[in-house]
Amino acid sequence: MRRLIFLLAATLLVPARPQTPPPIVLSPIIPGDVNVTATTVSIDTFQPDFDVYSWNTFIALNWPPAANGNGDPNQTIGQNGDNDTVWEHYRDVSDIFLPGGARPTWNAPMPIPNACKVLNKGNLEVVTQIGKNLLTPAVVSAMSQPFNTGPIIDQNGVYTRFQILVNKTMFDYILANSLYSKAGQKAFTPPVNFTSGSIDNNGKTLVEGAIMVKSAWKVIAAADKARFHSQDVLVYSPASKNPKYPAKCMMKTVGLVGLHVGHKTQSAPQWLWSTFEHVDNVPTDADVKSGKLNAQYNYYNPGCKTCKVNQIPPRPWNPTKVSAFHSQIVRMNQFNLPIYAASAAARNSDAQKLLLGVNPKSVWANYELISTMWPTDPKQPFGAPAPTFLANTTLETYIQGTVPNVSSNCIECHNNATMTVPVPSDFTYVLQRAQ
Amino acid sequence: MTRTVPPAIPILDSDIQDFADMSAALTGFQSSVLKPALDPVGLAREYYVFAVQQVGESAMATLVNAYRAIKTQPAQQIADTLLETSGASPSSQAQLAQSIVAMWYLGSWYVPGVLGGGGFAPPPLQVISSAAYTNGLAWRVMQSHPMGYSQFTFGYWSQAPGPLSSFGVNTGNGGGGQ
Repeated sequence: MRRLIFLLAATLLVPARPQTPPPIVLSPIIPGDVNVTATTVSIDTFQPDFDVYSWNTFIALNWPPAANGNGDPNQTIGQNGDNDTVWEHYRDVSDIFLPGGARPTWNAPMPIPNACKVLNKGNLEVVTQIGKNLLTPAVVSAMSQPFNTGPIIDQNGVYTRFQILVNKTMFDYILANSLYSKAGQKAFTPPVNFTSGSIDNNGKTLVEGAIMVKSAWKVIAAADKARFHSQDVLVYSPASKNPKYPAKCMMKTVGLVGLHVGHKTQSAPQWLWSTFEHVDNVPTDADVKSGKLNAQYNYYNPGCKTCKVNQIPPRPWNPTKVSAFHSQIVRMNQFNLPIYAASAAARNSDAQKLLLGVNPKSVWANYELISTMWPTDPKQPFGAPAPTFLANTTLETYIQGTVPNVSSNCIECHNNATMTVPVPSDFTYVLQRAQ
Repeated sequence: MTRTVPPAIPILDSDIQDFADMSAALTGFQSSVLKPALDPVGLAREYYVFAVQQVGESAMATLVNAYRAIKTQPAQQIADTLLETSGASPSSQAQLAQSIVAMWYLGSWYVPGVLGGGGFAPPPLQVISSAAYTNGLAWRVMQSHPMGYSQFTFGYWSQAPGPLSSFGVNTGNGGGGQ
């Protein structure tokens, strides 16, 4: 932060010039903050530093974990093609905000819904053996996107599923301040102020701040495992009254298609927002117009000329059945400056080469950064974010665009978040889940 | 008014900066608010290009050059000169300056020299963009926000608004080039 202010003061009117950011690194250390190395002050020169931060975060979060849950320095991301990851051992928010406002614990086994218990029988023995939730298959249930804007259904007619997890730093703050329950939130003296990450003058992480990870998953065939980060999970659909269907649980292999990371840092009290997708998800609007299309996508059918794009699936939404509706999704241009797409493309190329250098079959090289949103003026409540709009097509499918307060803007949206009492919750909606 | 053809020559950053500095003197805001070093919105460029499209390159260059000739003067003096506040009927150059002030405050384009009854402005030709609407300086002077779009933190209405200076208003005598 001090460095940013210094640069602003020292080089306020120096014209921007092209600059090479520091290299992306293979490291299990999550960056505590962005390391701004640009010596001229402009969006063009700063954005690459933020995108390097995002890729370093992606690599560290997806690093193979050691027994303590942190990245194992004796392993490397993708050395075996795919691997278990650090962030998948964070705590799912559904396991933090428990019925009756019960106090959660970091290492408690994940509660298994009744409908899933038969399927999970064998794995529960594994959990008992190691005494923590590391090998518990995740239960993914959410099938609608933020603000219930609708589900996204893949080209096989299967609903995409979502998870939100928080790291231990964030979990510990929630626990220490009893924010896991409505009663605790009512008794809390504001403001909510999650721990900020920080780095030293050399860019070395001092503190890992509060981190939220939102992920999107699609069911994949065994043959597709080479292309996705995948895991076997219990896909759970709670019972519904409208439309009416009973609870259903299935053991499925799912592939990661979207990853959205929010990290509160010293330079970014509005948090830093990094959003990644699988490279096969969708074409861009420009791809469609120019006809430069791949043979297939996860959420777009190149052969369907009459399919309307970016349509919310018609109701009723029933994730227990295969849908006749297949989402036809296109990434709309959401950037007002060319640097956002250009910087992400350059960093994606660098990172993918790095990951393929570890193992030519690394699944991690099949992911791409869409962009990083950061506050250009952290003193303001909104922080004047750059870019102004940013959407992940798997997580904010139907709110792509450039309309203020309507189109996807991470900071603008999360600035509205409160707890269950009318108190700002420091850019996170998860506290609203308290019971 | 129909739009003219966009300027064929590239727009220099120095032109945008001078336009922003001139606008700061005209509006009473800090130039660093109108055109921050880290500028994700780019309103100064958008407004400059838009105004040139409306009135032509020559008219805009004449006005900016007039500013350049007096830019070392205090902001109030610059504004009085360019807006011709002491004159009975402003010239077309001063009318352009008025339209630029309205553009920054209201995010809309008012045709230079066209006034409505009772001195009120007529309906604008157009709201320039959603960014122009949400970033209109009028909201800052009101220490408020546009309808349907707040940049404040939840619960701000229960607290007294911050001072005008926290909204970027130049409360001193400066203005241009800060």
